[in-house]
Amino acid sequence: MISRRTLLRGTGVSLSLPWLETLAAAPKPSTPAKPPVRMAALYMPNGVNVPSWVPQGTGRDYTLSPTLEPLQDLKEDLTVLSNLWNANSKGGDGHYVKETAILTCLTIKKTQGADMANGISVDQVAAKSVAGQTPLPSLELGVTPVAIGVDAVVGYTRVYGSHIAWSDPTTPLAREINPKAVFERLFRAASGTGARTAKLDGMLLDRVLGDARRLRTQVSASDKIRLDEYLSVMRSLEERVQRAGAAKGNPWKPRVPMDPKAAPAEEPRDHAEHVKLMLDMIAVAFQTDTTRVATMMFGNAVSNVSFRFLEGVSAGHHDVSHHQNDANKLREYQLINKWHIAQLGYLLRKLRSMREGESTVLDNSMVLFCSALSDGNKHDPHKLPLVVGGHGGGRVNAGQHLTYADDSPLANLYVSMLDAFGVKLERFADSTGPLAGFLKEA
Amino acid sequence: MPLRWLNLFLALPLSAQYTFDQGQAFLKTYCLACHQPKSPAGGFALQRVSEEASLTSAAGRWTALAARVRNREMPPKGAPMPPLDQAEQFTAWVDASLRQKACADGPVAGPSMGRRLNRDEYSFTVRDLLDLHIDVARLFPVDGAGGEGFDNAAETLFLSPLLSEKYMDVARFVMDAAAKEYKPRERILVARPAKGVTEVQAARTILENFLPRAFRRPVSKTDVEPYVELFQAARKHGQPFEPAVFYTLRAVLASPMFVFLLEPANNTGAPRPLDPYALASRISYFLWGSMPDELLMDVAAAGKLNDPEVLRTLIPRMLRQERSLDFGQRFTGQWLRTRELTGDKAPDAKLFPQFAADEELRGDIRNQPGMFFREVMVQNQSVLSFIDSTHTIATSNMEKHFDLKLPLRRNQSKQPQWVELPANSRRGGLLGMPAVLAVSSYPYRTSPVLRGAWILDSILGTPPAPPPANVPELEEHKEGAPPKSMRERLSRHRADPVCASCHSRIDGLGFALENYDVIGRWRTEESGKPVDTSGELADGTAVQGPDGLRQVLMARKDLFVRNLTNKLLGYALGRGLTLKDSCAVDQIVDKVRQNDYKAHVLLEAIILSAPFQMQAPAPVPTRKEPVKK
Repeated sequence: MISRRTLLRGTGVSLSLPWLETLAAAPKPSTPAKPPVRMAALYMPNGVNVPSWVPQGTGRDYTLSPTLEPLQDLKEDLTVLSNLWNANSKGGDGHYVKETAILTCLTIKKTQGADMANGISVDQVAAKSVAGQTPLPSLELGVTPVAIGVDAVVGYTRVYGSHIAWSDPTTPLAREINPKAVFERLFRAASGTGARTAKLDGMLLDRVLGDARRLRTQVSASDKIRLDEYLSVMRSLEERVQRAGAAKGNPWKPRVPMDPKAAPAEEPRDHAEHVKLMLDMIAVAFQTDTTRVATMMFGNAVSNVSFRFLEGVSAGHHDVSHHQNDANKLREYQLINKWHIAQLGYLLRKLRSMREGESTVLDNSMVLFCSALSDGNKHDPHKLPLVVGGHGGGRVNAGQHLTYADDSPLANLYVSMLDAFGVKLERFADSTGPLAGFLKEA
Repeated sequence: MPLRWLNLFLALPLSAQYTFDQGQAFLKTYCLACHQPKSPAGGFALQRVSEEASLTSAAGRWTALAARVRNREMPPKGAPMPPLDQAEQFTAWVDASLRQKACADGPVAGPSMGRRLNRDEYSFTVRDLLDLHIDVARLFPVDGAGGEGFDNAAETLFLSPLLSEKYMDVARFVMDAAAKEYKPRERILVARPAKGVTEVQAARTILENFLPRAFRRPVSKTDVEPYVELFQAARKHGQPFEPAVFYTLRAVLASPMFVFLLEPANNTGAPRPLDPYALASRISYFLWGSMPDELLMDVAAAGKLNDPEVLRTLIPRMLRQERSLDFGQRFTGQWLRTRELTGDKAPDAKLFPQFAADEELRGDIRNQPGMFFREVMVQNQSVLSFIDSTHTIATSNMEKHFDLKLPLRRNQSKQPQWVELPANSRRGGLLGMPAVLAVSSYPYRTSPVLRGAWILDSILGTPPAPPPANVPELEEHKEGAPPKSMRERLSRHRADPVCASCHSRIDGLGFALENYDVIGRWRTEESGKPVDTSGELADGTAVQGPDGLRQVLMARKDLFVRNLTNKLLGYALGRGLTLKDSCAVDQIVDKVRQNDYKAHVLLEAIILSAPFQMQAPAPVPTRKEPVKK
């Protein structure tokens, strides 16, 4: 068991402890030479109604499909990708193996929890490459709590299907699902702390780290690993606090400061509002450069959130995805897919409305919309439904429908997205190279 | 590793004569073609398990192999498949044989599983430590679950950057609140600077009083002095006495000594009794989800927490406290999955508007299983009450929901209470509870398949095998054709032998509950047609209606008790059970059976079991093996 758990690396964690009064003293924003590139992944569970998803035509001269229709006004900002797949997710069960690996492109270990193993996810590779440059390394969001229990039928802990962001093979990143808590976290991180507060916080962290080091000598080897996890996350917190307390104060200069009055309500009215509020948080975080990396799950693997709030939908998400080729169910399935696409449109428009010098935040972002299945009825990980919104700082050759040979690796997309983000990788998981045509020729 | 094999073993007619040679014959027929000695598929040659001794020396191999067969991952698609009954006989034999070998030496101590408190435990502990009644659980992210399906499983209580921020934030939040309230202040500020008492002396007294309770064990000077120094540093930074104290205590609430449940390493090379204070915490986090109280600590100090006589009075006393309500709610909510009622499983608001609008009724329904569980425990009833009972927990809202006349205490009929059920009430046990009936339905209609599978999994502990990869589609609905009833559609499950192999076990159980609608109301008609609650089990036994179902389950009571024991032991240990734990489970089940299935006997036997009381020796650190793909 021990050998499976690897030590956590310091992940450039950030935390800034509260204290609103320091906001007033926040340094004036200054303009960086070039706006940074941001990366987000929005994940939709349960796959798509395939015929309604795939656009007609390829290249620049293509027609958006009925499901993608809500993105019509964003067509020049989009890249629709067809025929990519995640080969390492083909075995196992119908959901957990696929959905957990959507951003890692590896095969998760089948376990009820004792020895979870996945890989580092693409968003975290990006986050680590800019660690320390933003107040928060990354933002992990969702709208439904972590699914409880283990799925005894297929033998996986539901922890798997509830996390797509993994900072290393054994560490899924906890998600925040309360929009108000996200806002407060962003706000505190962005506003920084004064030197005195930083000093006091640093002393507290010093104290608990001292306890952890002493305790470490008294416990068994397997418990040491737990304490090492603790040491790792607390130490990176300490580093951040020290940085914030340095003489020059917080080195980060937001272009647009966080507006404390923009805090969302404690309890969203319904699912739709909840999703919008979470997407707002991504937009705010990107605009203020509080983080450059975000992942958001519209639901956990096998999510059965009721979509009866949509006119014409009669059941929960997962139930509908098992349409059994029933015409009514297929129609409902498409309505649910289209609703999710409309949410993507909402976020992209929001980013487009955020000016950033000569460009917009959307110009400097890559927002991946993905599902880990194509046809949910068949649990099919081939021909995944993928759209990227944004221009990645001008690197993405947007405005196209790109189709590839069957069974081209999804990981190639990640290699190219990381490239635009500023990370040159030879290989990511089972990638065979960059994704042809996705980036502009250098 | 799950304990499902036991359940399968008991669930299926396993001929006692199944021999090692038969097992080998099975492997030869279905596996040898690929797993031959020269370049075996997946690097696994059958030779490795060809000797009987391999059941001990290569137990892990056997476990993995049986799991692949059971999950129908092997043989792979395209290769000749064994008939389901043969595959099940084989895997049941593997499981039984492994258990027999593993238990040759009797129950053994389990691995050391240090873990952090989960969000509920953190919140309850803060409440009891400070006498501060605020819910801080909601400030943390929801914990996932592992092991036997609970959110206290060490395996899945990972730490993440978000959590490190939360520890600091919550500690500040808690101490800010504590500084303002009377009771917490009294608890904390047991000394103040005065004539002849310096500030540092007062702070030291405060810490000497606070730290042992927060760390749940006696503390030494080495533990206390660094905190005194922190206090002094805060004073140097200009904080007055009181704020400096509360500031110092923030570190306590974020310290690993508070946040983690850990045990001193056992370096003796042999199993030994668990450290008494660690044992006190195990017991209190089991029955309360919170820290030990003074009495428990005293009993721990006296080394009496392994004394059956002491436990016989201690357990009932702990159960009677209000804190055991949390145990009831947390355990049943996850065991029965009724927690999901507030999520995906919530009955549809458009179809059940009254239910959706009546938060009081919904609350009563949500609370019923947990309060019933707790009452069965407190009253030391038979655990078979979960299958059928003469009493239940009800309120006047539920009385109306049930359309029954119940002997409620009329002056407080809105309070959930233990009431006797009238004859033929059909509300005894868990299966008469709306929460259970709703969580095993779709939000908009009942499903005999979901309910049947729920019973197999949650009650009997024999979850059905996963559906095969290529589920043949149910016939398409023809436009304009009259809608078929669920029973007609599901008849495909019996006509097609591929479906029938599992659904003959599932559907019959579920049909028996068709008298209850999605939110657990009694019905005799559905869409104008009389409800048909007849079903048939795999072995041909006829089941009729909920009472018939209760009889069927009662006839399988030992299966139920074993499942409940597995769940409770997994919850008590905060980890998944292993092969070696199954020997302890055997003994606990025997004890319970011999004592009229009494609840206290079950809890006592769990607390006295080897995996609960004993600590395995720390493994000798070896060089890390290269991770095999």
